Parts: sequence; structure tokens; C-alpha cells
Amino acid sequence: MRRARLGLAQLSSKIGNVKENAKRHFEVMKKARADKVDLTCFPELSLPGYSLKDLAYEVVDDCEVALDALARRTVEGQRVMCGYVKQDALGLIQNSAAVMGDGKMIGTTSKFFLPTYGLFEELRYFVPGNPKTDLRVFESEKCRFGVIICEDAWHPEPIQALARLGAEVIFCLASSPARGIGKSESAGELPIESQWLSLLKAHALMSNVFIAFVNRVGPEDDEFFWGGSSVVSPAGEILARAKRDETDWVTVEVDLDEVKRARRFSSFKDFRAEFHEVLRDL
Amino acid sequence: MSPELEKIVPSELQINTSRVADFLARRLASYINEYSKRRRTIVGLSGGVDSAVVAYLSTKAVGPENTHLYLLPSNSTPREDMEDAKAVVELLKVPEDNCRLVSIDRHAAELASSLGKRQDRLTLANIKARVRMILLHGFAGVLGGLVVGTGDKSEITIGYFTKFGDGGADLFPIGDLYKSQVRQIAAEVGLPERVYRKLPSPALWEGQSAESELGIDYPTLDRILYRRFDLWWDEKSIATDLGVALSQVERIVEQVKKTQHKRYPPEIFKLSFRSHGSDWRYPREWG
Repeated sequence: MRRARLGLAQLSSKIGNVKENAKRHFEVMKKARADKVDLTCFPELSLPGYSLKDLAYEVVDDCEVALDALARRTVEGQRVMCGYVKQDALGLIQNSAAVMGDGKMIGTTSKFFLPTYGLFEELRYFVPGNPKTDLRVFESEKCRFGVIICEDAWHPEPIQALARLGAEVIFCLASSPARGIGKSESAGELPIESQWLSLLKAHALMSNVFIAFVNRVGPEDDEFFWGGSSVVSPAGEILARAKRDETDWVTVEVDLDEVKRARRFSSFKDFRAEFHEVLRDL
Repeated sequence: MSPELEKIVPSELQINTSRVADFLARRLASYINEYSKRRRTIVGLSGGVDSAVVAYLSTKAVGPENTHLYLLPSNSTPREDMEDAKAVVELLKVPEDNCRLVSIDRHAAELASSLGKRQDRLTLANIKARVRMILLHGFAGVLGGLVVGTGDKSEITIGYFTKFGDGGADLFPIGDLYKSQVRQIAAEVGLPERVYRKLPSPALWEGQSAESELGIDYPTLDRILYRRFDLWWDEKSIATDLGVALSQVERIVEQVKKTQHKRYPPEIFKLSFRSHGSDWRYPREWG
């Protein structure tokens, strides 16, 4: 039986203060080692904070320094994912995730879909990731995994592609702000919270993969991130759920063979590329 | 919800009171303690529902011992309003030392006299609102607190407030709640019935009533604003749905447009490549 222990670091970040946020990352990484966690994931833009506005251009160097220090603290076999601002060769910036382990940086990926509506304005600052280079399946001693960032889960393709490229676990780094508070809530559940859970379950069921959703928590200017990080199984069951509105550290052990078992009893095998050809030609 | 309360809180605006109150108290605590690194809140208590709910949230957020309530009446403040304000102070168990009653008449009269003969009712009313804000910020300075504003979403949206007066607070914790929703919170957390049932009034001149000045009752105003701005309806559909005259809906929407300047910081004419109010865009919480 192949098993892996996942750790969801539901953190609050201090906007623009990468040094302080890096300290919070170090503290969680210590806990992860103590709890024998194989793969630890932090939220979207966990190092610099989310609502950066013009600060997005000013945190690049601090992020690089912090990532280097974090990567060096990882141990053999461990994998750690966190969010940061990456600058490309053209001087443009991306909303990115770093994958670290074995005492070094292993790779990065960048967000494909940059929300720019309502309270979001990511396209003003960031350039999107390129599916041809950023859809990557990473490996650890325990499993193969993919990484996406928040809005990427609101589209069918990124998770579907990563699952078909061989990922067994998809980590989704998120910064989802609360809205609709006090309206149409059952048991205090936010509309956005039930929407996320529906999405995660649908993706997990369609692609028969584990999905680990790791959301920010706490205030940032006018917004408040609601947390509620979760792990959903390939059969669409919620295996772990972090607290709402509070920082939390949740670990869960998953049975990776569930991926192939779930695929025996689903239509995952019936992939029809023709649909994508039609979509491409629209 | 009781049928009586339903009359002043339209069904489509009803909220989960405990969830909202808990959330706002938590945000207020975090803003005061963590972001601004202060401990105390300064609230002007008028005897109306908005300031009563803000005072309630403050006691939940930072405790009655760190909540400072100021009753700042003028010669146009109804006696019952001060009685109601005192009832709220007592109910919230705010220590006596944290509460003060200061009449603003002397200050307002002196400032008004400097205007000479060209005085009108609205200018004098705005002076009163600004005198109150000067005093509240003075107390905040002395005590190391923040002035917590009491504006609600209805009044902010139609610009029914005095610029740099009641609009000059440090933050507005109930600024995303319509008046009807503030009344619902007041009723459901047990604030005095007289406070949430009374007809709202800034009491800046004798006999002033918000609803007669605005020409509309608050539940209808809130239903119009909700449909036009939260649901993006057109004005004709709103009038038909609510059974009100189209001209009334248009008048309210016009008032929202005309008062847009009150919801923005003062305009700065752009000259450089990076200007405040334009493309100087840093987060409020910085560093």
C-alpha cells in the first residue's frame, strides 16, 4: 500500500512583509517534520501576501531570498509548496508556486487564469503561466503530484491535464476572500465556501485524484480570507477540513492506491480529445 | 423574526445576525489591535440605531473597558435620544469613566458666528457634525484610540452624511449593512426596542427626520438600492417590482450619482507619472 501524509498550512500572511511571513513558514515546516508530513502546502502568495497592488513589483527580491532559505531547510524526501511573486527574463512578474525539497528548489509553476473582475485585479500586474511549460508533474518518494493556483480550479483544464499527465495529488494554493457573509448561509457556511467544495468534489470525481485545497486565512485590507482548507479523495469524499476564519495546521494520510481503484469504477478512461479539438477551433 | 420586525427588515435583506455580528466584531478587533496597534475605540453615541450597534460591536471586539462612548448633544437633540443613548451605555456595561456627555452648542455657535450673516440651516448643521468629529478625534488622540464611524450602507450610498463630519471617521464597521440590516442586528442582539424602532434622524435641526428629508422610508430605500446596485436591475424593473413611482427610483439613483464625490478622497489633478488617487496603488496595510 502506498501512502503519503499531506500537511495543509492555513496561514495568515502580513502583506508585503516577506521576512515575517517566511518566519511563519519556518515554524510550520518544523511542525511538518515533527508530524512526519511528506508534502506540505502553503496558500497562494503565502510569502508576500495576496492584495499586493504595486507592492507586487517590490517583493520580488525578498521572495527570492526567502525561497532560497526555505528550500535549504527542507529535508530529504520532503516536499514543500508555497506561493510567491516570480520575475521572468523579460522583467514581467507572475503569481507563482515554488516546489522545494531535498534541501533545494525543485521547480516552479505559475497561475494560468488570473482573475480580473469584482475585487480581483491580477491581470493588471501578472502575466499568466504557460500551460506548455507550467503544467508540471513533480515527484517525491511517495507520490506524483501537480500544483495549481486558486482560479485555475475554476476551469476544467488544469486539473484534468495534470491528472492525465500522471499526478495523483493536486495541490491548489488559494487566496479566496469571503463575501456574501450572513446571506443564504446554512450552518454559517459562506456561499463561496460551498461553491469551492462543489468544485473540488467535481474535479476529484472527474479526474479521480486527491485534491488538497489550501486557503489563506485572516484579514488583508478590505478583504478577509476564510480558510476552510480541505482534502478531497478521488471518490469525492472530504477527508480533512481546516477551521473556518482561523489559522490552522491539518495533516492527513492518504492511500494513493485509491486513485487507481477509483478509476476502475468511473469513466475517467473515456477521455475524448476531440472535444478539445473542437474547443481549440472555436 | 417577528411580524413587527419584518415590517422594517425586508425579507431579501435579512441576514444571519450572529454570524455577521461575530464577523464584524472580529474584524474590528483585528483592525484596532493588530493593524493600528491601538487598544481603544472612540464612538459618538447619538441614541440612534447605527451608533448603538457600533457600540455593541465595539464591546464585543475590544471589551467594554476599552470602549469609549461620547454623547455629544446640541440644542436640536431630542431629550429621548440622550435617554436612549444612556440606556445603551448601561446595557453594554461600559464603565462610567469611559463615557462623557459634552454639549457642542458653545463650540458650534462660536464657529457659526465667524461665518457672519450668511448662514443657512444646512451649513450650521454640517458645522455641528464636524464639531462632533473634531471632539471625537481629540478624545482619540488623548486616549490613543480610533474613531469608529457609525455610517451604514444606505446613508453612505446616497451620501446622506456630512463630509469630514460623521463621514470623517477612521473606519466604518457597519458600512456594508443597509439600515434595515442594522435594525435587524439591533433587535436580535437585544438593544432597546425604542432604539431600533425610532424614525432615524441626524437631529441636526429641530424636528429633522431622515425619511421626510429623503422623501422615502428606509425599507423602500434599501430595497431600491439593493436592486439597483447589488443586483444590477434597471430602474423601470425596480419601480414595477416594488410598486413605487419610477420618478422616485430615478431620484434616488440620481442622488447616489450626485454624491459620489463624498465617497472618494479629494481629487488630485494628475501631473506626474505616479499620482495619489490614480496610479499610486499600495495596500492600506503596508510593511
